[in-house]
Amino acid sequence: MQGDLTAASPCIQGRRGGRGGETMQQPHRRRDRLTQRTEERTTMTAAWRQLPVLILLILAPCRTVSSKSVDPTTQPLVSIASQPTDTRSVVLQESVDQTTQTLVSIGPQPTDTRTFVLKGDTTFKNVELLNPVNLSLECVWTGSQNKQPSITGYWRKDGAEVQDSRVTVNLKEQQYNLTKVFSIASEENLGNYTCVFGNEFEMYFILGAPQMGEIRDKPIVSYVGDLVVLICKMDEKKPKPNTWTWYKFNGTDREEISAATDPHRYLTINDGWKTKLKVKNVSEADSGLYHCGAVYNISTSMTHVELKVITIMEPLKPFISILIEVIILVAAILIYERSRSKKKEAEANGPNAEPKNAQPQTEDNGGEESSSVRQRKA
Amino acid sequence: MSYTLDRKMPPAPADVSGPKPLDGGWGWMVVFGAHISIGFAYSTPKALSIFFKEIQEDLGASYSEIAWISSIMLAVMYAGGPVSSMLVSRFGSRPVVMMGGLMCGVSMVTASFGSSIVYLYLCIGIIGGWGLCFNLNASLTIISKYFLAKRPLANGLAMAGSPVFLCFLAPVNQFLLGHYGWRGSLLILGGMMLNCCVAGALMRPVAQPCDLRACAPPQEVKQTNNTKSSGSCMKNVKTFVDLSFFKDQGFIIYLVGNVMFIFGAYAPIVFLSAYAISLGVEEYSAAYLLSIMGFVDMFVRPGTGLIANSKWIRPRIQYLFSFAMVFNGTFHLLCPLMTTYTLLVAYAVFFGVGFGMVFALIFECLMDLMGSQRFPSAVGLVTIIECFPMLLGPPAAGFLVDVFGDYKYLFFMCGGVITTGGLFLFVMNVYNYNRLDRASRGDDAEQNQNTTENQEQVTPAGCTVGSAAQDDQ
Repeated sequence: MQGDLTAASPCIQGRRGGRGGETMQQPHRRRDRLTQRTEERTTMTAAWRQLPVLILLILAPCRTVSSKSVDPTTQPLVSIASQPTDTRSVVLQESVDQTTQTLVSIGPQPTDTRTFVLKGDTTFKNVELLNPVNLSLECVWTGSQNKQPSITGYWRKDGAEVQDSRVTVNLKEQQYNLTKVFSIASEENLGNYTCVFGNEFEMYFILGAPQMGEIRDKPIVSYVGDLVVLICKMDEKKPKPNTWTWYKFNGTDREEISAATDPHRYLTINDGWKTKLKVKNVSEADSGLYHCGAVYNISTSMTHVELKVITIMEPLKPFISILIEVIILVAAILIYERSRSKKKEAEANGPNAEPKNAQPQTEDNGGEESSSVRQRKA
Repeated sequence: MSYTLDRKMPPAPADVSGPKPLDGGWGWMVVFGAHISIGFAYSTPKALSIFFKEIQEDLGASYSEIAWISSIMLAVMYAGGPVSSMLVSRFGSRPVVMMGGLMCGVSMVTASFGSSIVYLYLCIGIIGGWGLCFNLNASLTIISKYFLAKRPLANGLAMAGSPVFLCFLAPVNQFLLGHYGWRGSLLILGGMMLNCCVAGALMRPVAQPCDLRACAPPQEVKQTNNTKSSGSCMKNVKTFVDLSFFKDQGFIIYLVGNVMFIFGAYAPIVFLSAYAISLGVEEYSAAYLLSIMGFVDMFVRPGTGLIANSKWIRPRIQYLFSFAMVFNGTFHLLCPLMTTYTLLVAYAVFFGVGFGMVFALIFECLMDLMGSQRFPSAVGLVTIIECFPMLLGPPAAGFLVDVFGDYKYLFFMCGGVITTGGLFLFVMNVYNYNRLDRASRGDDAEQNQNTTENQEQVTPAGCTVGSAAQDDQ
């Protein structure tokens, strides 16, 4: 797994400091800030919509597998080995546009606190987490026109105000600073964290597991009796999922785990960043949405693939109709031609019996001759 | 036919002495049929690429293996030219196009049941390619039989089928893919291609293939050095020894210019999107560039046909063709300067104009050179020779991109080759026509005599035997 992590994140920094019990740490000092501890409410929102689109830009400034950092004031982090599992901590640099950042930190306990700063120029930040961690979220705002010496700031999680989060924020160095440490221990702690400055300004962090980029909006169409392969892929630049799971919703929201329930029909092949679900001998009942989940320590990020099973009759109907149309048109054209030639023949043989043209079957003779006369003069 | 006499081109009398072209009336229905036929022929290999991703996933093949389907189809379509020419000369256009339509339909329908990539190569590539080959060749031939005075316009309208059908097939294919998957889509596409049979039905034969009674008398009189077996003038086909074309200077010039054009023509189309994306353009906008080009192409082809038909241009149509090539090549050379999206759109527009102009004239010029009697065999020979630059062009361009890592060398190469071809055509045509002018001014009187003789002999039978006399000249 260590090797996988190396492959996953091109920039690896050693991690130092921070062992159990500490609530406050600053192994990487971007800025000297105070952190606060609090408890978070737990609700999940549909903030999954905010896909970290330009995660590639995160890696643009990344260079080598070393302890190089974009911010020279950041101290590299060292590995912590407290469990037999891999404990090296990996940090990816901030993206150029500073909207997305991925954190991969490993520690058996949510003891490592990582600080994320949101400055006034960006209104939100997407944070992808792998493991439980203590996050120190910091909002910096330069204030409005009339800068009051102090304003009230508080935090909201998923729309609901976080208890005991109201503080008075003082204007320091022309900036307002609102910081809070959140313990992200499980899936319930993920979501949309908004920091609010008085009634005037808001910024938010979206915390979640790494999202899958490509969502196929068109259904996979298959025929009855075929073998279908459904594929879900996680961007290889993001951390590798621990495993994958597949679900099929049964109309109502009851979930079914597809993998092991029916080994004769389903076969799952999990291959790191890609998973394949092979469904044998599909029938029309197999149509519907299949949800694949990339399982991480912190939570599972889901996406879906639609399968549509049709019988051969479906495309056959338009085909037959086109075939009939073709046959009708061809017959019509040939019959029209035959009837015209018979008419011309009748006219030609009647009044004019000269076999000048030995072409009884060519209908356009009369027309041709007159036009050919025109041609000669042209 | 004052313009042809001005030109003093050798094949001109062939047009005069054959059955008189209709130049209208049912001819426009024939043009419509040719439009459909040519449309399917050129657009199907490109439109099929929409299915490739799904086929690739389903059959588990690599992208290059899948891309071979299109290449095989194009290769067979071009390489089958001589065979198609022979069949057209023997049976006329109608049966050949109907046969071609049937083959295309069958190929797509059988391909929809395929489960291996080799099977698809066979069905779509080979059978489909043959079907399209028959379509293309026969459609062009019948236009040359039906039109003379308005032939450039007819050609322009018929060749416009290619961009029209591409614009039409691309979204239709997407729609079908979403609803029926690739198998159902191929099935339905096969049905649509059966419409080529309808197009074939429209191609009423101009003159019957000779029946012995009618042909025999003039035939015996006109037995010349051509090694014809007695009786049926269908055997004329055997006298069209392919190599005899290579003695014709005009044909060689045309061939060289054409080969150079085809070598550089398709690579920019293949790489335009990639080049735009490399400049930072979005994927959708980059794909849009090709649609713009196709859309412009659609109108430019008939427009060029109309222009080429005019009194001033028609006698100098070969020069218009070389101008079109130089125009096309110049814009390829300028393409590396186009670094913003607006400039790329402008490039796409001018690319469409140049491309459309060349393709509207490409077969018209051959008809002009060869005359309607020799055209069927000539076009077969031209297409089989064009097969090589067409298959070699895009990979050679891709190789340049790989070696230099920059798209501009691709455009320089393509633009350079096409412009050189155009200039070559222009210069050589000037030289060739001057030479022919001087030669034919000498035997003007002889020519007129022969022409009237042939007309008397040929008109009653209506057979296409005039060519025999023309070979003498």
